Amino acid sequence: MNKFIRVNMTTREVAMQETPEKYAGLAGRALTSTFVYDEVKPTCHALGKNNKLIFAPGFLSGTTAAQSGRISVGAKSPLTGTIKESNSGGSFSQKMAKMGIKALVIEGMPADDKFYIVKIDMNGVVLDEAPAEILNGCGNHEAIKVLSAKYGDSVGIALAGPAGEYRLPTANISFKDPEGHIRSAGRGGLGAVLGSKKVKAIILDDTGAPLSVPIAKPEAFQAAAKAFAKALVTHPVTGKALSAYGTDVLINILNEAGGLPAKNFTAGRIEWNDNISGETMNATITERGGEGKVSHGCHTGCIIRCSQWYPDKNGKYITSGFEYETVWALGADAGIKDLDDIAYLDRAMDDVGVDSIDVSVAIATAMAGGLLPFGDGKAALEAVKQIAVPTPMGRILGGGTAIVGKLCGLFRTAVVKDQAIPAYDPRAVKGVGLTYATTPMGADHTAGYAVATNILKVGGYVDPLKKDGQVELSRNLQIATAAVDSTGMCLFIAFAILDIPEGFNALVDMINARYDLALTADDVTALGKSVLKTERAFNAAAGFTNAHDRLPEFFEYEPCPPHNVVWDFTPEEIDEVFNF
Amino acid sequence: MAQEDKNTIEVRGFLHLYQAFKAKNWPVPLILPLSEAITGAQLAAQLEIPLDEIEVVFVNGFVQSLDYPIQPGDRVAFVPPGCPGPYRLALGFYAKHQEK
Repeated sequence: MNKFIRVNMTTREVAMQETPEKYAGLAGRALTSTFVYDEVKPTCHALGKNNKLIFAPGFLSGTTAAQSGRISVGAKSPLTGTIKESNSGGSFSQKMAKMGIKALVIEGMPADDKFYIVKIDMNGVVLDEAPAEILNGCGNHEAIKVLSAKYGDSVGIALAGPAGEYRLPTANISFKDPEGHIRSAGRGGLGAVLGSKKVKAIILDDTGAPLSVPIAKPEAFQAAAKAFAKALVTHPVTGKALSAYGTDVLINILNEAGGLPAKNFTAGRIEWNDNISGETMNATITERGGEGKVSHGCHTGCIIRCSQWYPDKNGKYITSGFEYETVWALGADAGIKDLDDIAYLDRAMDDVGVDSIDVSVAIATAMAGGLLPFGDGKAALEAVKQIAVPTPMGRILGGGTAIVGKLCGLFRTAVVKDQAIPAYDPRAVKGVGLTYATTPMGADHTAGYAVATNILKVGGYVDPLKKDGQVELSRNLQIATAAVDSTGMCLFIAFAILDIPEGFNALVDMINARYDLALTADDVTALGKSVLKTERAFNAAAGFTNAHDRLPEFFEYEPCPPHNVVWDFTPEEIDEVFNF
Repeated sequence: MAQEDKNTIEVRGFLHLYQAFKAKNWPVPLILPLSEAITGAQLAAQLEIPLDEIEVVFVNGFVQSLDYPIQPGDRVAFVPPGCPGPYRLALGFYAKHQEK
């Protein structure tokens, strides 16, 4: 895996090089963030010619290891102005690795207004003009069908939807999954960066590529992969709960904890949680049958299978990857009480190609600001569909939560560094609040998602409503996450390696066997620290200071019922998170 | 949060316990009479929920272990093993789990 491909959209020239020595030991987020730090001017405009977009599979992508199908995408974010890594499932990462591609960089910007398709196969890279039928508002579902018909059903596809073409700050990069549905590198507007470079889609045709990547020590790898898979299937979270209820299982739990942000962050608990919970989603899919699936993997080799196919009343597929954060934002924060309405909104956001967290929180904010009626799922759906046109309302929603809050004159706008705060109220779940405040990515729950055993010094003895121990918890979770994001692994492996040390050891053993290395757990921790420091250095050079690592002020003086707590960390305490 | 003038408790079950409650035709929430404090473990036994199917119990929105006393008027929810994410840490599940 040593091809380093650069596509210059200014000259439309392609350079296929050996991977520079500096990047040989990096992958996934570690590679994307280091590259962006090295080559992107921190003060550049994210939609200008000096930004660069990089795709990189992880250390274990293309192997037979369970959960190893995540693709990392990096650039300067047009939403936050910070460095950004966003990752996704689908088949892209595994195909890139099998084709021997360490990284794909899209740079420059064409002078003309044509959109292009970047097609990569084992013979090289070709730029085609994008078919007119997939431009100017064509939804992603139809565009994937058109591109699959043109280039083959089995190709991997990365796609800028209408929102990406229009360079809206919440535009995601959509990836075709093994069944032709959509997975997304959702956060931070990287689809707008792809659109700014006039690349409508990237096609990966791995015909002729090896079936797997080379493994330096196959027997050791197989043993470690087996131990790793065992940890995943025996743990109650990864082996049972996520496959049954998906991530939406958290609705009831966060609601009970009083940490489910509701009605544009004015409460921490709702009474209609039963309408939108993971338990109800499971029962609904089971009862409707048809094309519905309670459990589904987003990439080949996924054994956690937290995704699902949610069907309509007639059993016809509506959407998949129906995540907690989307259901929360629309169901609790925007008060849309009908799970079907939320499913159609999820599909519509996938179709126009926007981050379903930022736009859903933007909908709740728009409702608070009087742009949409509170709790009206039908009105919200029509507004989201306008992004494909785009009407002024479509552009406003596609601008994201921060822009909607400003346009509505609201002080209660739940963003950090202009990225929407997800589904965990920082007043009632304080450790997550510290991560929102300090992660280099802008408010991002997944930045502190990984957990590991005492090997990574992650302790668990905190009271969610108190400050004790939270700084250390947030710091260590962010370090562990940065490391896991570099492996190409799904972050949900973290659930198993929290409680099963053999699972974490097996993860390190797989990397060692793949490359004939002798990494230790400390090396993994050091990698996570290095990634975070690199990202923070980019942000500092872009003009970000500690003063940007703060939650919106209203959290400090508006108590969140039912616990009626406020955000009470001092600036000095928050700054301790990155004191390592 | 316990209310002195109440002699009942609200009980919920999450994950597969939600389905178990439904299978018994229990409403959500299940309202049970309670005049004196009992522990989470005693309440689980009364509801015929095996202890190994419970990781933690919420009492009035706070994560507690199964020996925590439940008072009349309390809001209770049983959570089986399976809560994902750092919330096992951030909400205190992991700490309570380790205390058992």
